[in-house]
Amino acid sequence: MTAKNISIEFPGVLALDRVNFTIHSGEIRAVVGTNGAGKSTLMKVLSGVYPSWSGEICVNGKSVELKTPAEALKLGIGIVHQEVDSAILPDFTVFENLLMDDVASDNHMIYRRKALRRQAEAILKELGIELQPGMLAKNLTLAQKQLLLIAKEVHKKCRLLILDEPTASLSMAETQKLFQFIRRLAKEEHTAVVFISHRIGEILSVCESCSVMRFGRITDEFPVTEHTRTEKIVEKMLGRVADGREDASGEHSDIRENPVMLEVSGLCDQKNSLKQVSFYVRKGEIVGLAGLVGAGKTEICKTVFGAEKKSAGVIKINGKEVILKNPTDAVRHRIALVPEERRKEGICPSESITFHLCVACLAKFCTCSILHKTAMGARARAAIKELLVSCRDEKQQIQFLSGGNQQKVIIGKWIEADCDIYILDEPMQGIDVGAKQEIFRMIKSLAKKGAAVLYVSSDISELLAITDRLYTLYNGQITAERKTAETEEQEIMYDMIGGNHG
Amino acid sequence: MDKMQRKRVGAFLLDWSAVIAIMISIIFFTAIMGLSFFSSANLTNILRAMSITTILAIALTVTLACDGFDMSACTLASCSGYVFMACYLWYGLSLPLSAVICVIFTMIAYLFTLFLILVCKIPDMLATCALMFVHQGLGQWFTGGGAISAGMALPNGAMPRRTFFEAGFVAIGQAPYIILIMFASVIFAHIFLQHTKQGTFLYAIGSNKTAAALSGIHVGRYRFLAGMITAVFIAVGAMVVCSRNTAAQLCGCDNYLMSALAAVFVGKSVGGKEKPTALGTVLGAGLIVILENGLTLCSVPYYILPAVKGGVLVAALAAVYLPGRRKL
Repeated sequence: MTAKNISIEFPGVLALDRVNFTIHSGEIRAVVGTNGAGKSTLMKVLSGVYPSWSGEICVNGKSVELKTPAEALKLGIGIVHQEVDSAILPDFTVFENLLMDDVASDNHMIYRRKALRRQAEAILKELGIELQPGMLAKNLTLAQKQLLLIAKEVHKKCRLLILDEPTASLSMAETQKLFQFIRRLAKEEHTAVVFISHRIGEILSVCESCSVMRFGRITDEFPVTEHTRTEKIVEKMLGRVADGREDASGEHSDIRENPVMLEVSGLCDQKNSLKQVSFYVRKGEIVGLAGLVGAGKTEICKTVFGAEKKSAGVIKINGKEVILKNPTDAVRHRIALVPEERRKEGICPSESITFHLCVACLAKFCTCSILHKTAMGARARAAIKELLVSCRDEKQQIQFLSGGNQQKVIIGKWIEADCDIYILDEPMQGIDVGAKQEIFRMIKSLAKKGAAVLYVSSDISELLAITDRLYTLYNGQITAERKTAETEEQEIMYDMIGGNHG
Repeated sequence: MDKMQRKRVGAFLLDWSAVIAIMISIIFFTAIMGLSFFSSANLTNILRAMSITTILAIALTVTLACDGFDMSACTLASCSGYVFMACYLWYGLSLPLSAVICVIFTMIAYLFTLFLILVCKIPDMLATCALMFVHQGLGQWFTGGGAISAGMALPNGAMPRRTFFEAGFVAIGQAPYIILIMFASVIFAHIFLQHTKQGTFLYAIGSNKTAAALSGIHVGRYRFLAGMITAVFIAVGAMVVCSRNTAAQLCGCDNYLMSALAAVFVGKSVGGKEKPTALGTVLGAGLIVILENGLTLCSVPYYILPAVKGGVLVAALAAVYLPGRRKL
């Protein structure tokens, strides 16, 4: 299969820029790149999700149209997405899930359960997958669900199998099992496999070749051998050593003597996605927490804020242990959280800007719980001016603001509430460059005024630009702690993808 | 430009459709019936008829403000009515004491509703739908399957302690007191929802539960508060109904559910606020009662009226949920 000069444009961005991609049958190919490099977009083009691409795609030397998922299926291209749960029917059994497409397309009126089951058993046996056909899909483990979906694709006579981050939520043993299966698939069935992963160790162990993507282009392609080094791949993912770091070390030299404001030790959560996380933030310090999607960043934020229950660990504020049972407790201890999913968790869409700016400190604006609306309005107008929020007026509903302005209002909410500790979870997601600079300035001035800031992100350049100290998180564990001024982009990337953990 | 303007006019008409509908129906009925509709005597009629619907709709408004839902509000009101009348007639308690017992009973009964919703995490709609039948059954068990009114014996055959109604009891259900009670309820709910911290928090929860919780609002605690306020309004509604009928009739309040829901949703569509407000609810109740009153005057048979109420509810729901009604 060959794809030539594939380009696709979304409003405002060229997501793929003349990508050339070739894969042979029986080959296991890794596609790596930082977040937003275009990996998923390319895979979606290849599986027919986006119809608006330009360029040429050939399968077995013949040029093909590929505009719908059904066409992709006909060509034998199968994809298993990262979120397996969206692709299975939880209340149906394994064999029903496996053969659902056949059932949907055949002309039998009667649902022949027994025949289906027998057929499914045969398929599973042939593929060497150990799954109980009668089990309900919702009772499967994540790895089993993944296998089920792969089996489903293979059963559909798929010649090219795309796996989008299949291992993100698997344990080591499960991953190994999956790899064995992929290897066998490539060798015996001559299926081409595209494997997307952030974990370089896995790529080294299972893939034969590797394509590196950056800014919507494939920048490098090379075979993976025993001599391929992790560092080399990391370097290629990042390209040149690019960091737009401002020299801020001089300004903050005195933070090191400041007292520790927030201290977390041995934090575990009930879903077992955090393993003994410990860190601290000093007064006036901006501490970064770097980690990839699924590393446990959001879990840390929510657990510290009391929105998720912890199973172990101690949280200390100003040296005193506190018990945070819910977000209300956290706010009482003057902790602020700017959540990752702004639209889902950050805003009350139909409420006004005034409401959002005042909601965390409404007690300030009322006597005997009767609100002083004029005082709230005046305060909101002042805050809008100070934070440079562009809006019609303070009564505008927040859903009509741009992402950047919404984020400013959300941070402003906590500034109004006079918080001491700010936890920012991916605060720059979906925010344009101009607003980004202004929000950076806001965060810096917060720290200067003596707040402790925990800045959580997967974007290394952001972290380098703003933080004083950096922790890296991999698989729910803190893998390294570094001073930002003395570190390099590569080092952080290396830790984030678990370079030290195979 | 032309298209934009048309869109804006469309949005305006939709936002104020309830008010427009009220004006049109007033003009329409006046044109047909003349002064028998457009008179101060009939205005009192309308206000009196509005009262019960409005009070029960206010109860639902508070619940709906924080994205709750209560299908069982009116069946619970029937039960509260039984308790109120039993205290007053069967056991001969004084009117204020009966009222207090009725309110307390309703709050305790509502605790169970809240237990199902907040602790057992059953979706509101399902929990209250089930409770509707529980209320009906338990209520009829309590009354022995009949209404509670003056001079009737208890289920166990004993004679009631009180055999006649005091003037104060009857007055509750008559103008002007019933109308004053309605306005007091509306004003209280309006101040609570629009001008207090707690009311603001309820709307925040209604707008986005997760965001509200992550802003430090204790969602469970405020939903509990909303439930208790709803219970008080349900009790008030129940007492007004009993006084108006001078009896606690079997399932006497159940039929108000649809009017009350229609009133809240008509109110929700008013002004494009997209949230239930006390004043909007009054407008909604007004629209429904004006339609009922006018149609009755035009001698439309009473058994068709539910279809009219249902039609208003459907129209209001369409105005609230119609896709693409976002403002520019």
